[in-house]
Amino acid sequence: MKTGDAMKVLAKHRGDAIVVCALGTAANGWWAATRSEDSFYMHGAMGFAASFALGLAAAIPRAPVWVLNSDGSLCMNLGCLLTEAGQQPGNLKHFVVDNQCYQTVSNMPMVNRDGADYAAIARGAGIARAISIDTVHDLDRRMPEINAAPGPYFIHLRVEAEDDYQRPPPFSYEGPEMKYRFGRAMEKRFGIEVFGPTGF
Amino acid sequence: MKAGVSLAATLPDDWVNGLIRRVAQDNAIRHIPVGREAETIAICAGAFFGGVRAVAIIGNTGLLTCTGEMATLCLRHAIPVFCIVSARGSIDDHMVYQEVQGRRTIPLLQAYDFPYRVIDREDEIETIPDAYQWHRLQKRPFALFLTKNLLRSRRA
Repeated sequence: MKTGDAMKVLAKHRGDAIVVCALGTAANGWWAATRSEDSFYMHGAMGFAASFALGLAAAIPRAPVWVLNSDGSLCMNLGCLLTEAGQQPGNLKHFVVDNQCYQTVSNMPMVNRDGADYAAIARGAGIARAISIDTVHDLDRRMPEINAAPGPYFIHLRVEAEDDYQRPPPFSYEGPEMKYRFGRAMEKRFGIEVFGPTGF
Repeated sequence: MKAGVSLAATLPDDWVNGLIRRVAQDNAIRHIPVGREAETIAICAGAFFGGVRAVAIIGNTGLLTCTGEMATLCLRHAIPVFCIVSARGSIDDHMVYQEVQGRRTIPLLQAYDFPYRVIDREDEIETIPDAYQWHRLQKRPFALFLTKNLLRSRRA
């Protein structure tokens, strides 16, 4: 399964989910598939998109939240799975795009890439619903059930490493503009106050 | 809580454990215990976008480990995160493994231009809501250090 094809399937099934992307392949792939400006693309803190998404899911429990994580990011913060399991957020789905390498830094190999079983690690941390998917067909087939099931749900997506990766972030905006575009989208959609009456 | 906080992400430290226990028992605050302090920074950042006022409650050692995430997530995107931190390594803290934090955390915060405030007396507690609002205006991480003297008096 290619990352781009997986992202197209996820985009097809997104519904009204808020999407938080780990930097690198996950964020770049989601942007390429959707050009979604009401998603949050981490531009730093590698490993902590899942924690960010958990905070967002806890803050807006009525909203479905997806985190599109990656294998490199997950491995920088495996403890996020324990925290997530401890909270059992019913509105959080945790996808991990696993290309077995650090693709945006010249495809350098992931640590223990032939021996790791991320779904098993998630189950061991206490996330009962944890699966691996390695074809576009299976992903498309299983997404309705994944969407319908309560979270937390951990979905490991085994994708191919690709040579034709994009090293610089593809987004046409960054940093504080990312904050304001996403925050304003949350305010508009949920009727909440993110920035306050004078804009901060 | 007067600052309107309704979510707290925490990791224990001897000096702030009493506060964490109070948070855990407070039905008005969503309590998220974590496995590593940097998670508290990202959790609070995510909660910010949900319109929720959040705090991280951690030890000084933990704050020291968070500075990369505070810089590349919070400075990068101008996201305010309010951290309540034990002022470990102070002159009245003789625990050997707190010594470096006591000397180097505040200079490190200064290097990043992360604002901070040290609360040492009970009458300073009422400034916390102002500090919370101020950190939102600053759009960056803020550390509120609680001293041994203050925490001792609160236990009494």
